[in-house]
Amino acid sequence: MVDSIPVAFLFFGAALALFAVPQGRVRSVVMLAVPLAAALHVWSLPAGDLGQVEFFGYSLELMRVDKLSRVFALIFCLAAFLGNLYAWHVRDMVQLVAALVYAGSAIGAVFAGDLITLFFYWEGTAIASVFLIWARRTEGAYHTGMRYLVIQIGSGVILLAGAILYHGETGNFAFEKMTLGSPATWLIFLSFGIKCAFPLLHNWLQDSYPAGTVTGTVILSAFTTKLAVYALARGFAGTEILIYIGAIMTLFPIFFAVIENDLRRVLAYSLNNQLGFMVVGVGIGTELSLNGTAAHAFAHILYKALLFMSVGAVLFRTGTAKGSELGGLYKTMPLTMIFCVVGAASISAFPLFSGFISKSLIMSAASHEGYYVVWAILLFASAGVFHHSGIKIPYFAFFAHDSGLRPKEAPFHMLLAMGITAFLCIAIGVYPAPLYALLPYEVDYAPYTTTHVVTQLQLLFFSALAFTVLMRTGIYPPELKSVNLDTDWLYRRFMPDLLGTLSAALGRVWSAQAAVVQRRITRVVSRLHHSTGPEGRISQTWPTGAMVLWIAILLAVTLIVNFVGQRL
Amino acid sequence: MGNTKSSKDDPAAYPALGTALLWLDNRRNVDYVVYGLYIICAGLFLADFLYHKHVYLAVEEVPGFYAIYGFVMCAALVICAKGMRVLLKRPEDYYSPKDVESEDHPVEQLEKAENDG
Repeated sequence: MVDSIPVAFLFFGAALALFAVPQGRVRSVVMLAVPLAAALHVWSLPAGDLGQVEFFGYSLELMRVDKLSRVFALIFCLAAFLGNLYAWHVRDMVQLVAALVYAGSAIGAVFAGDLITLFFYWEGTAIASVFLIWARRTEGAYHTGMRYLVIQIGSGVILLAGAILYHGETGNFAFEKMTLGSPATWLIFLSFGIKCAFPLLHNWLQDSYPAGTVTGTVILSAFTTKLAVYALARGFAGTEILIYIGAIMTLFPIFFAVIENDLRRVLAYSLNNQLGFMVVGVGIGTELSLNGTAAHAFAHILYKALLFMSVGAVLFRTGTAKGSELGGLYKTMPLTMIFCVVGAASISAFPLFSGFISKSLIMSAASHEGYYVVWAILLFASAGVFHHSGIKIPYFAFFAHDSGLRPKEAPFHMLLAMGITAFLCIAIGVYPAPLYALLPYEVDYAPYTTTHVVTQLQLLFFSALAFTVLMRTGIYPPELKSVNLDTDWLYRRFMPDLLGTLSAALGRVWSAQAAVVQRRITRVVSRLHHSTGPEGRISQTWPTGAMVLWIAILLAVTLIVNFVGQRL
Repeated sequence: MGNTKSSKDDPAAYPALGTALLWLDNRRNVDYVVYGLYIICAGLFLADFLYHKHVYLAVEEVPGFYAIYGFVMCAALVICAKGMRVLLKRPEDYYSPKDVESEDHPVEQLEKAENDG
């Protein structure tokens, strides 16, 4: 009985119950208790389809529990717990409710066994998460949130359209493995792709995540994109095009990350890069690579949250997360610095850190299956992510030139959240067996071989060497107060400008031709006036009798026409 | 950005861990760190000759392949990215007021505090 209650409802119920709980620490305790209870519940669930409901004559499957959905649900619960612990001080109900509904929707979507249920939760994540951006309550955050919402809701609408077409083709809404080919599957694929930040569809991520609140961005970083990775793994495993999409995804964000000033946006770019690895894993579609995708999503959620937490703590204490404004913070925020370095080492896949034991599954799958170019790109991306996330983030925030800022160390609950996350990053790296046991397939892989450790260390240390050499020779581009154009320029500047120019040009053409017509009419009227007006030549010579005669003729004609018409 | 340099920059008030790391403030010590990095890199490069590599691809057998690849690609990455700035860099208020780039983070959501020991 308890098993059939969807885990998501626990979060939604708690979000409602929160209003009955007095403001303050009790609410924060509820925020921590809910994900813990949910995690225990997920852990104890048996595999199988546990929650069918009838909906307008269709049978919806709310609780499809298998190893793939379980591992994603567990890490989502864990991320919600850590994010809420980090946000212990937050008293803003908007953010608290949004965090619960967002996490609940993401977990609900993971257990969804049909496309309609998936669609509802899909939109749920979109609507709940935007409040974590709007909660900043500034004009810029409002506009950014709007852009984010349009794209996220758009993704859901495309999913719904795809689901309806899919029903037309197959007669059911089952969310199972699909083959790309029909319009329905392409639409569903596109919908997943938007949420997964595929190249050219990616920019909502870098646009919106740096606009969230200090704690909101930590929570944002965990769910939406990894839900999309899960959906791809469920629906499109082994779809070859994903390998190339993923490879491009790992590649281009690292260039932007090097020149980006806002450190939270740097992290958003590297998030995009890490998603690429997971997408490649889905595309290869072997047991090894799908295990790699699930393991990497698990490890990634933790170290990415840790990095966002540490940069968030800097923002919380100094009011800025920009590389150009920061530096030298290791003196007064040494613990935050150490946690940041742990996150950086994990994302860079240093041996003994979590990224090492998860990313290598995907790398090995790529080389075993003969995708050599993709393998080389992934290797480059691995070095690149170390370069900008592993070195740049800690270096510009905590070392580099001394900014003169002497902020206080992060508050205790933030340090605790970072500490637990850092511990998990190291624990998974040192002892990966428990994580491997959670993966969808049997794992037959040993990450710690001499070759693997030495080659990985070579790659990383020589990347660090490149950074050092470029830094000391002054070639490395300095952090500058600036923004960089990305694809969002197309819809934020180019299209509005183009429309503005077009409408201005159309307006000019319209008013020019209206002026011509006006002039002509004026000329005709004035000529008529000249000839037939009171002073005109024609009216001068018309006798009144002529008018009477014409009326008589007109009457006669009318009479004849009437007469003839009746006769006919 | 409203950042004011701290008036109370007192190294004695730093957390113990921060004080312990203060030797990084000295340029000469940073040089030592860099020399350490050079030595580690040289050691890792030479390590390739000391064990038997278990690899799948022919290119991986080249001694120091990973080292050279890491160094060259990272240098290329940075130089390309630097070149991209010529085309892509815009002032911080380029999109303002429709994004958060040029606005301050609302102070009431922060807990700015200076280190006072």
